[in-house]
Amino acid sequence: MDTEMISSQYLVMIVTGIVMGTMARIMTIKADYRQYPSYPNGYLIHLVTGFVAASLGAVAIPALMTKNFVAVTFLTVAIQQFRDVRKSERESLKDLENTEFAFRGDAYIDGISKTFESRNYFALIVALVSSLTIQIVNLEQIWLSILAAIVTGGLTFYIINRFSKGKSVGDIADVKQGEIEVKGSELFVDGIYVSNLLGSENAAKMFNDEGIAVVINPHEEHFRIGLDNFGQRQAILFEATRALGAKRYHFSRKEYDDGRIVITLIPIAGDINKLIHTVRNTPILESVKKSSKLMNTKFIGRE
Amino acid sequence: MGREISQRPNYQVLAIVTLQKDRILGGSQLSLLANDEEQQKRITQDIAKAMKADVVKMKDGDYLVIRV
Repeated sequence: MDTEMISSQYLVMIVTGIVMGTMARIMTIKADYRQYPSYPNGYLIHLVTGFVAASLGAVAIPALMTKNFVAVTFLTVAIQQFRDVRKSERESLKDLENTEFAFRGDAYIDGISKTFESRNYFALIVALVSSLTIQIVNLEQIWLSILAAIVTGGLTFYIINRFSKGKSVGDIADVKQGEIEVKGSELFVDGIYVSNLLGSENAAKMFNDEGIAVVINPHEEHFRIGLDNFGQRQAILFEATRALGAKRYHFSRKEYDDGRIVITLIPIAGDINKLIHTVRNTPILESVKKSSKLMNTKFIGRE
Repeated sequence: MGREISQRPNYQVLAIVTLQKDRILGGSQLSLLANDEEQQKRITQDIAKAMKADVVKMKDGDYLVIRV
């Protein structure tokens, strides 16, 4: 019976890997101004999938060391499972589209669901590296091995976290308060035409009294490519309405000459500073990113 | 701009409220003729409230009730 039991060294390896991997997932669950997924069921779902991912990463090395090579193929099952996480996240967010103040938009949903998938890989990789470290260092004192695993696992987490971290709107553009002006039924922000949907006197008065607006001014000309993208602007507008609520109207508009973007709404609660903070922290979507340096690349076949 | 046309939101014209009879040419929307500007505003407001829609005042004086 004892021969079938797992050795204490492998047990330590697996437990350390699972703990490190799950910790990595816990640290990537954010409860920031975006408030997603900071609700109890959201936490639970992602912690459990993170734990499963960490378990798969942690048992890979012991499986290899016991010459159980077939068992390593379950990593492919893990990848399939993570893809399902992405798929279910996407479906869930798409189902919610009609209930929000503004649409998230397909580009933002794609970005969020990919992030959720990738964070499971965080858990898997950190767990894998942690258990691999214990196997490699193989010290007499087991606690020293665990310490080494914690250090390498932490370092791995830091590196992949840095690698996967994207920019936000505030990194590539100035976000300033815009001055609202209602002329008849037309709405202008800093002189930029936004909408003519304020046809009734109530609407015009409401926007004059309670409307707030920001103008996004890109630092460089090439940043306009990303900011002008419809999906990116929709994401910014969504975050703005999500953070402040929308009592009635919300608009986004781009200005063609200087590439300025207007975001304006009538909030339920909150002030202009909160709006500026929210817009600055809206992530730049992966799908709209463009590197201007890559455009000047001198690979073979280019002049 | 062409790209944006294919994106949501899709606007739907629900009603047009005008003061000039010859401006009503047809279409699927509700077309109403008001006697004076006050009545025109009132009708527009009532329809917009009932349909939970937005109002556009055109530069020629006509009102459109539009839903996103």
